[in-house]
Formats: sequence, structure tokens, C-alpha cells
Amino acid sequence: MFERFTRDARVAVEQAQTVARRLGADHIGSEHVLLGTVAHGDAVAHRALARVGVEPATLERAVRAQSTDTLDAEALAGLGIDLDAVREQVEATFGAGALDAPAPGGRRGHLPFDADAKKLLEVSLREALRLKHRRIDTGHLLLAAARLDTAGSGRALLAAGVDRDAVERAVQATWADAA
Amino acid sequence: MSSELLTAAAGDDPAEGLRAVRSLRVLADRLEALHVERARRLGWPWQHIADALGVTRQAVHKKYGKRYP
Repeated sequence: MFERFTRDARVAVEQAQTVARRLGADHIGSEHVLLGTVAHGDAVAHRALARVGVEPATLERAVRAQSTDTLDAEALAGLGIDLDAVREQVEATFGAGALDAPAPGGRRGHLPFDADAKKLLEVSLREALRLKHRRIDTGHLLLAAARLDTAGSGRALLAAGVDRDAVERAVQATWADAA
Repeated sequence: MSSELLTAAAGDDPAEGLRAVRSLRVLADRLEALHVERARRLGWPWQHIADALGVTRQAVHKKYGKRYP
């Protein structure tokens, strides 16, 4: 399916791998594809989000906040667990940073795409077909990211304050400008 | 911590309780991974690790076998 992807869209999908690794994930989720998609300043997705006032950094914060793999010191404190005390004890045995290393001895090589990330790529193709576009660019990827509103990508966009309709309008306007 | 644990984990706000449970799970998963890795480095067989965790050998091997062969 990648033969229909523009260069920017291919770069975005590759970038998802880098993003996932940086965030300490052991797979590529739809939210990592979303962050890869908006990373490049010239790409349609980045410009579309800029139109509605959403910076990539804002999205990344939203993604981090919804990560299921974050140690929430406040929630743990609510249980009477002092995360700093736990960390200190763990580091005494396992070395500095042991508790906060995302995946100790984690995966090497390529991270796999999870079901939502694959779905996002499929939906981007469907969006292109629906709009009768021959190529898939980062705008289609962003539309797909917003359509998956129960997946990480859609939830991150909603948390950043943009819903499906707002994303669609912004992408359409960006395409219209470029035409 | 037990009385506070009960307050939060069994508190009347589901969001707070669920958030607390999720954090505990993340903490437990991290600690488990660290200890499994160390046990493997010290030469523990999978069966011993599984017994200590109260799960089957297959379960622990499936979860960590690739990471800490």
C-alpha cells in the first residue's frame, strides 16, 4: 500500500518508529504515527494543526499523559505509596534510573505496529479513496488519526482540543491553500 | 499503607480508584521485569521464577523469554 504514499507520508511513518522508541514504547501505536505525521514543518499535517493552534509539543504532552506506562506519583501517593522511596530502594539494587527505564533490556530492531496503528494506515487509504485522491499525504494520515477517536491518536487530538470535524476542516483548508 | 490503600482503591470516585489501580499495575510490572531480569542473570530457571510469581512457566516465558533468554 505504501506505493501511494507521498514522500512526506513515508517519512512520517518511519518517524513513528523513532517517536515510539523515544517515548519508551515497545510497539508503534496510532499515537506515535500521529506524532510522526505532524513532526515535519512543511508537511500538510503540521500546517493543518498549526491552523487550529496545535503544536506538535502539545500533542506529545497529550500522548505522554495518556500513556499506560507512566508512573503516576500522585495516584500512588493517594494509596500511601511514596514513589521516591520506592525508587530509592530499587536503584540501590538495580542501579540509577532502573525504575524509570521504559523497558529494561527492551526490544532491539524494529518495533511492530499495533492493531490501531495498522488501522490508521488503512483508514488513511480509505480517506484518499473517499476524497478521490490518488496519493496519500500526511493530511490523509492526520484525518485517519482523528477518525480513530477511541485509539491513542484520536484521544490525543481530543485532549489537545481538536475533534474530527476541526481536523477535517483544517486539512481541507491546507490542501486548498496548496492547490 | 493498607488503610489508605483501601480508601483510594475502594473510594467512591471511580476515576480516582481506577487511576490508583493503573499506577499500581505499572509499578508492579516494572518491578517484575527488573526482578525477572536479575533472576535470569543469576541463572534462575524459568520454573523457579514462575513458582515465585505464582504463575505458570509458560506464562512467564511468553512474557519475558525473548527479552531475557
